Amino acid sequence: MGGGPNKPELVIKGKRTDGRDFNELRPIKITASPLENAGGSAYLEWGNNKVMCGVYGPKEANPRHLADPTQAVIKCRYMMAPFSSLSEHGRSGPNRRATEISKVVKEVFENVVMTKEYPGSQIEVYIEILQGDGGTRVAGVTAAAVALATSGIPMRDLPYAVSVGRIGDHLTVDFNMIEDNYSDSDMPMAIAPRNNEILLLQMDGDLTKQQVLDGIQMGIDAGKQITEIQRNALKAAYEATTK
Amino acid sequence: MRNIVLPGEMISDRPQRIENTYVENGRTYSKIMGMYEPNSRGVIPLEGSWSPNTEDTVVGVVMEQRNKVFVIDLRFFGRCLLVPGKFDEYSFEPGEIIEAKIKEVENRKTIVLSDGKLLEGGRMIRVKPKKVLRVIGKKNTMINQIREITKTDIVVGLNGLIWMRGGNIELAEEAIFKVEREAHTSGLTESIKQYLETRTKSE
Repeated sequence: MGGGPNKPELVIKGKRTDGRDFNELRPIKITASPLENAGGSAYLEWGNNKVMCGVYGPKEANPRHLADPTQAVIKCRYMMAPFSSLSEHGRSGPNRRATEISKVVKEVFENVVMTKEYPGSQIEVYIEILQGDGGTRVAGVTAAAVALATSGIPMRDLPYAVSVGRIGDHLTVDFNMIEDNYSDSDMPMAIAPRNNEILLLQMDGDLTKQQVLDGIQMGIDAGKQITEIQRNALKAAYEATTK
Repeated sequence: MRNIVLPGEMISDRPQRIENTYVENGRTYSKIMGMYEPNSRGVIPLEGSWSPNTEDTVVGVVMEQRNKVFVIDLRFFGRCLLVPGKFDEYSFEPGEIIEAKIKEVENRKTIVLSDGKLLEGGRMIRVKPKKVLRVIGKKNTMINQIREITKTDIVVGLNGLIWMRGGNIELAEEAIFKVEREAHTSGLTESIKQYLETRTKSE
């Protein structure tokens, strides 16, 4: 969230730095189950973000003392590849940021996956950011939802995630890296589209109450496109061989 | 008309008991990705892991022997043990492929096998567990026609491992993988029959 003497101009003639409108998403492309060995997998390109996601399980919980006899445990690992970013985000190994994102992504899927069906087992979700350009956690959640669906694990819904923020007085959808670094506020969120249940909501910077409510509505509107892309990707993996 | 449904997709606007669905606020939603035909019994899963049941035939690899009990690898996350009955005398070596029946599943985690039978020679392939039933076919039609036309001995394990030996083994393998790829299409037994017959004639 920033200021400073080097702050670039983020809004030029009513358009954003990459020529998008304020409610416009970057182009998204999803491939369902590109990996053979994982239980389920997805590859996603969201603007310049490139995310690979793999799902394993349900399998025996490890270490044993973490097993829950009433439901499955979800383990999630979000990791940026060492070559994913220009700045120090991309250094390898678990760090404070990766640990935090792993935790919030895990909580997203704990509320969507029907964990009660697999007592005493564990479901593993691995999110690898191959190239990062702002909004990698929302890209990761969107990809992981597709990967979980391809693994056949029962879920209540197919969640998506999108980030909303504020540049000056403008509420804006889907920040890229420059906007992420220099905007006034940034609010990533994950939503279950069936009843618009909010599964993740974080915020950097400041927003008024009205701006938060408007921002959530803006994210839901943009999310309709994301849901459509997710569904088409899943169906395309099978319809190719139907004919 | 069969359609692909996705998790969270509404299947019926009243509460109904359909396999692989859940009911919320008086409506029925799918909980997996699968094929659904209106007014049918359930959503047929397209992907998923294997859940063992008693009397299932399985194919596995012998891992080790502890006293008289054999540890078998069935590509399952839990433990799989072949326990000899009173009159059985098994002598398997680690690495050998066997066919067995599931006697008991304990806590959804430990599988106890019986009726172990050695499968000598041949090769083993792996298909997705949810596609195995299609490889077998209704009343074994699919697997019997592959056996007949290719003259291959085939043992299908419901855990996804398939053993085969002899005959036109390459063609049998290709046919099984073709079934796996096209498992969700209709009229598959007929199209596989044509595929096998044209392939055998051309060779």
